[in-house]
Amino acid sequence: MSNWYKTAGPKDDIAVSSRIRLARNLKGMPFPSRMTTEQRIELNNRVKEAILGSNTPFAKTLKYIDMRDVPETQKYAMVERHIISPEFANKTEPTAIILSGDESISIMIGEEDHIRIQVILSGLQLNEAYDIAERIDALLYDSLHFAFDSRLGFLTECPTNLGTGLRASVMLHLPALESSGEIENLGSSIGKIGFTVRGMYGEGSKSLASLYQISNQITLGLSEKNALDNLKIITTQLIEKELESRNNLNQLGIEDICYRALGTLQNARILSSKEMMSLLSSVKLGASMGILNIEASPLEILIEAQPFMLCQKYGILEPQDRDIYRANMVREKLK
Amino acid sequence: MLCEKCGKNHATTHIKTVVNGVIREYNLCDSCAANSGYATNSLTGMLASMFGDFTKQESLIPQTKCSVCGATFRDIAKSGKVGCGECYNTFYDELLPYLKRVHGSTKHVGKVPCSAPLTVIQKGETIEDLRNELARLVREENYEQAAVVRDKIKEMEAGENE
Repeated sequence: MSNWYKTAGPKDDIAVSSRIRLARNLKGMPFPSRMTTEQRIELNNRVKEAILGSNTPFAKTLKYIDMRDVPETQKYAMVERHIISPEFANKTEPTAIILSGDESISIMIGEEDHIRIQVILSGLQLNEAYDIAERIDALLYDSLHFAFDSRLGFLTECPTNLGTGLRASVMLHLPALESSGEIENLGSSIGKIGFTVRGMYGEGSKSLASLYQISNQITLGLSEKNALDNLKIITTQLIEKELESRNNLNQLGIEDICYRALGTLQNARILSSKEMMSLLSSVKLGASMGILNIEASPLEILIEAQPFMLCQKYGILEPQDRDIYRANMVREKLK
Repeated sequence: MLCEKCGKNHATTHIKTVVNGVIREYNLCDSCAANSGYATNSLTGMLASMFGDFTKQESLIPQTKCSVCGATFRDIAKSGKVGCGECYNTFYDELLPYLKRVHGSTKHVGKVPCSAPLTVIQKGETIEDLRNELARLVREENYEQAAVVRDKIKEMEAGENE
């Protein structure tokens, strides 16, 4: 199996990825912002032992990485692949991550909570991702005691995650809803029912390439199943609305936009990250509407041509050089 | 270390920015950080503000400390971050109104820690489900069945408190 952005998934013409995150903390240990360096190291070792020491066939597919051994460029490339959060990459304390070969599973140790189990899959696969996260949760619980209260559920550093500790999200490609301006209204109505709409790279990030992350906000008083079901209902509705909105687009106008975008990407010699994302969004739209017939996956290019992903591949590059490497890479992929 | 901006005060805020793929790091004092818009993480600030106008009445509240991590409720309200699991027990009453504002609820209804969670989820049996079931059985005066469910709840609660 390959990374989420390289794999096809159900409904991936609009639902780009599904992500599950479970927040867990150990009993009797301060939460990360009050932890000493020694406690952090102890935490890393305990979680490592709980997973890798379990000797299950599943654990053999996972790898422990001490984040202090990871160069900055690679850390930010991980952020760009959605494996770790930007906050985690910025941490200077000893933190660690347990990662599966295809990077669909990443267990962040010492982020905002002691343990953050993350599962990311391509397309709309919320249940599948949740099932995997549960298996890891169970494996951890076999040897670790979680901070839990029967009234308040799983205890977390930030009370916004209290209860289930579950954040489920889908990333949707919504160019038609964005261009019609409907996304803003939808965002505020989604907000009223306990869900949030954010840009591609999480908290505070702007939407780039018309990619929007929809996730549940409420974790207390709502079961995991209900949170997942509600998110699925909202996602299905947003997909329907996006398709409806695409049908209402001026056919010739949209063909023009898609072909121009492809033309630019196939010929540009200097390409900024921002321009690339905006053009690839149009190419993705064109491909999923059957206007453009391309073999390469726009999403895969979009991730691989991110600034730090390029640095990881070609070595540290100055921003202006990076734009040249990016243009070359994109041209090659879309030949 | 002195603040890189004013060069006078002690640097207390470490800032790391990633702009257009360039990583920069700064060490600023509180006031320079605030002036540059980095005073607090905006979300943390928002969370702290949801604790209400707590700082104004802080002198009225006894400074109880959490026995595990030493945090006071003031620390939690200021940062929007809870110190450890025990804090939720120590400051339960103080936290409750805030939790109600954030989640609209103060009662966990999801799964409980369990090494075989799939079975619990598949049946949809959370403690809350069982409590509802118990209430229904009692209403129906089906005491025999109710006793079985009651024992199950006890078992689950014992599992959590282990």
